[in-house]
Amino acid sequence: MPISAAEPLLQASGLAAGYGKIRILCDVNLTVGAGEVVALLGPNGAGKTTLLRSLSGLLPWSGRICFAGRDLAGLSTRDVVKAGLAHVVEGHRVFTQLAVNDNLLLAAYGLPRGERAARIEEVLDLFPEIAAKRHERAASLSGGQQQILAVAQGLVRRPRLLMLDEPSAGLSPVLVDRVLVVVRQLREAGTAVLLVEQLIEKALAVADRVYALARGSMVLEARTNEPDLPLRLEHAYLSTTTRAPPSD
Amino acid sequence: MEMQATELQSGRARTLGSANIFGAALPFIALLLVGIAFPLFGGGYWGVIATRACVYWVLVSGLNLVVGFAGQIAIGWVALLTLGAYTTSVLTAGNVTPALSPYLALVIAAVVGAIFGLIVGLPALRLRTFYFAITTLGFATIVTQVALAWQSVTGGGVGVAGPIFPPPFSSEWGFYYFCFGLAAICTWMTGNVAASRFGRALTAIRDAEVAAEASGIAKPALLAMVFLFSGAVAAVAGGLFASLQSYITPDAFTLDLSVLFFIAILIGGRGSILGPLLGTILLTVLPEFAAPLVAWSTFLYAALLLVIVLAIPGGIAEILDFKNRRPLESNRAIIPRPDLLPRLLGAPHDAGALTLQQVALSFGGVRAIDGLDLEIRRGQVHGLIGPNGSGKTTTLNVISGYYAPQRGTVRLNGIALPVFARHRRAHLRIARTFQTPRIVGAASVLQNVMIGGTIDGRSTFVESLLALPRHRRDEMKLHDTAMLALQIVGLDRLAAVRADRLQHSELRFVEIARALMLRPAFLLLDEPAAGLSAEEIVRLGALVLAIARAGTGVLVVEHHPDLIFDTCHHVTVLNLGKMLAAGSPAEIRSHREVVNAYLGG
Amino acid sequence: MVESIVLSGVAIGCLYALIGITYNVMFSASRVFSFTAGTLGMLGGVLGSLFIASLGMPVPVGFVLVLAAGAIFGVITEIVAVRPVLKSLDQHLYVLSTLALALMAQQFTAIEWGTESRPFPRLFDTPRVGFDQQFWLPMLACVVAIVGLELLYRHTLIGRAFLAIAEDSFAARALGLPERSLRITSFALAGAIGALAGFAGGEMLLAFFGNAPLLTFYGFVPVALGGMGNNRGAVVAGLLLGLFQQTANFLVGGIFASVAVFTVFIIVLLARPEGLAGSSLQRRV
Repeated sequence: MPISAAEPLLQASGLAAGYGKIRILCDVNLTVGAGEVVALLGPNGAGKTTLLRSLSGLLPWSGRICFAGRDLAGLSTRDVVKAGLAHVVEGHRVFTQLAVNDNLLLAAYGLPRGERAARIEEVLDLFPEIAAKRHERAASLSGGQQQILAVAQGLVRRPRLLMLDEPSAGLSPVLVDRVLVVVRQLREAGTAVLLVEQLIEKALAVADRVYALARGSMVLEARTNEPDLPLRLEHAYLSTTTRAPPSD
Repeated sequence: MEMQATELQSGRARTLGSANIFGAALPFIALLLVGIAFPLFGGGYWGVIATRACVYWVLVSGLNLVVGFAGQIAIGWVALLTLGAYTTSVLTAGNVTPALSPYLALVIAAVVGAIFGLIVGLPALRLRTFYFAITTLGFATIVTQVALAWQSVTGGGVGVAGPIFPPPFSSEWGFYYFCFGLAAICTWMTGNVAASRFGRALTAIRDAEVAAEASGIAKPALLAMVFLFSGAVAAVAGGLFASLQSYITPDAFTLDLSVLFFIAILIGGRGSILGPLLGTILLTVLPEFAAPLVAWSTFLYAALLLVIVLAIPGGIAEILDFKNRRPLESNRAIIPRPDLLPRLLGAPHDAGALTLQQVALSFGGVRAIDGLDLEIRRGQVHGLIGPNGSGKTTTLNVISGYYAPQRGTVRLNGIALPVFARHRRAHLRIARTFQTPRIVGAASVLQNVMIGGTIDGRSTFVESLLALPRHRRDEMKLHDTAMLALQIVGLDRLAAVRADRLQHSELRFVEIARALMLRPAFLLLDEPAAGLSAEEIVRLGALVLAIARAGTGVLVVEHHPDLIFDTCHHVTVLNLGKMLAAGSPAEIRSHREVVNAYLGG
Repeated sequence: MVESIVLSGVAIGCLYALIGITYNVMFSASRVFSFTAGTLGMLGGVLGSLFIASLGMPVPVGFVLVLAAGAIFGVITEIVAVRPVLKSLDQHLYVLSTLALALMAQQFTAIEWGTESRPFPRLFDTPRVGFDQQFWLPMLACVVAIVGLELLYRHTLIGRAFLAIAEDSFAARALGLPERSLRITSFALAGAIGALAGFAGGEMLLAFFGNAPLLTFYGFVPVALGGMGNNRGAVVAGLLLGLFQQTANFLVGGIFASVAVFTVFIIVLLARPEGLAGSSLQRRV
């Protein structure tokens, strides 16, 4: 499979990770090119969230991860974020006790004082629906607005790669489209996106390439414009790895 | 032929077991002999030290069941020592009541101690770790203050004379033997409890509370008995302590003493009898070897505690646990023996079903389950699949009694299941496993499986304390049944190994063995294939099918298509708390919406 | 009489509230209740007496040094007793590690400072009046701590970061907040607050090593009753506790006042394990 010509932005190879004794990921390889939107699909329990958490340093991992020419081994999440890899975790976990503005301010933690306000204005321009509520507590936002806020938090540092973990979970279809519009906007602006998504068709519609993860291993890698993709995906998901399906 | 081989195997396991028991008893026998012979080479002052160690151990042995086994952080147990000391002293002094014989006073103190042990301990049923620790600390402070204030009875700051035991226990060595005898009895009794279903149940409450509940262990009753016992022996120790001191004031009962007791157990190691015993001896004797350090002793104990917690959480017991140092075979495989199932489960049972009708439940406005119908028949495997958050585990938890459905009913053979009352599920022969295996890591695999059979024991706590025949019969039977269950899941070779040394996939099978101990009418498996290799999944599938064939109704919550499609007779697909589809695996596989939802997972 | 009960009740209640806040500040950053909270209060009194009365330092210098020492002890707590066990799923470990550290500090004080209580110097050279400094100093300290924390939380970035970690430390970490250094800072802050309590209440409590377990217990009561992590709840519950204790002290005598406090504490706790103000649902399976 030919991958974008130059050095990819993110390259993970031979990645393994898990929680304590439980191995979740095994020998996973993944690349994301600069400015590319990549969808990561898979049934639940496949290890998608574990993969994102490993990439952002929230979980210990072994193998090799390179981001923007830099080896991420041993880096804390903080360093990874500083390097330009932002991770919006699942379940729109914003800080409900703080104002919208303060939530964004926290995302700018560590940036020079003078830059913070400008960065916040920048992302609020992208999301008028939360800009209107910037002084309200995040608890007063709807689930969809909280998700938008979480995405906005991820963008405050102008990341080169934004990882979104199930941004559509629990959102109404209209809001899902809103989030995906944002993904397209980002792509146009040159930000790469690694998207874990439940809604396959929507994910395929915005993505350039797709990976499918099943039982902790990559079972499929393809460009989204390949014609037989849906069939291959279905096969990748439901294939019984050990023996043929029962005939009865 | 095969039968014979198995018999042989379990016979070998039993001889192995008795060899282990002998090996385990060896240090105790050595200590017993040293204790009996002690007066021959120890003299004068050392006699006092040895007596003190015995007195402390009487208390610590009981506290060990609370701290080391049940895992309750009782740091103020000196309060019960104080109580026992004053009760015995005041009753024998005769300034309040007619003077009683010291023996009678000791018995009364034991009763008083038991009652207060219960009172101090019971908050543990409601309060978690730190809260409980702080209430015992508060209790210790208050008992001392009361002793100081209640001058008419306790003599206040002036104090009161301790009891003097009549000959032959009046001499120094006579009293030593008296205390030593009591200490030996306490060792024996707590050892019996530790090796009984009660001891295992306590460790289960400590390390895997939900598994304890699922095995039918009633925490309140069990903890109550332990607190009664622990309070009684602590008060007896108090009476002995008062006699040893010959005169007691509230100053004698500082928190330092409480700390000593508590730390002796942790240095010794949780879930062990020998470790805390050695810990008690060590902490009592240590300051005597280094007189300048006496003032620093509590400081050093505390430092030791910190080191133990940070570096060797298993304590002395872990250091002495040589047999678990031996490396395990690395290429071991789990090879279940489903053919043995009928021996464990008996003849297949008649029909029966677990039915959910229009069950609905929401958390804070989110509908977790929304009008679910489900019927699990005995003898069949029922699969429950669906994307994350579709309500699978919630359904399982409703059946297990963790959540009360807001609408609808859960019936077993037509009779509504009681809401909550989780440990009652085991009595109704509904067993389950957990998404993350809930195991007592420090106990052996066999002991873990035996926990599953707790409710089938017949002996009472007191019978187990005294190792009466019924206790021994229980233990033999549980041991054999557990070995059989381990053979069935294919882990009998690892029976003696500490459970936390096993691989994740093996722990899943340990949980199944534990569940089988209930001879379940219904078995609920929560993602049993997660973390298993492809080969192991095939074996698991065969085992699950065999369990169903033996008459058990199995509910499998699973993501793994192999397991679902290969083993289930019937599959229900959930989405957003509602049933999306139900039918045979073949029907489900070709169901367009399901494929979409599943792909969406 | 009523006046002195109220004064001493409110003053001692403020001290309990301050220790409660010490617990809370550590808890918010780490989900750990530390036994060192009361130890910090004890150290505030002992060190204040040491620096000012024994070593003859000027009051402001002694005060600053006491706060600094408290902050350092807070940091030590984090490094020695909290961080190593934070990863462990075993809930009981932190109870033991912080208990061990608290005992070490207490014993060290008992040996080096002595087991007798010693007087705490009067900070201001004023005659003893009804509303004496021994009463208003704890109240002032409590007000300063509460207002200071409120300002910190509402108006500084680091304060917001504390709130963020308290609410969802995982999300905070994912966002790139320096969780570890924020936690250390929290413990330093808690240490300074605990030492402030001991310093301000020095004249009431005296410089005595045995104050540590008492403050650990009575300071936890406001936390348990006011809801964990809830500073306002802690202040209200602390004041109620102080007033209740002093009233009972007057009516039935000191010892039985303690029994009464203990009994009420246990009963309330058993009835509402999450505190009078707080509520939380735990999902265990």
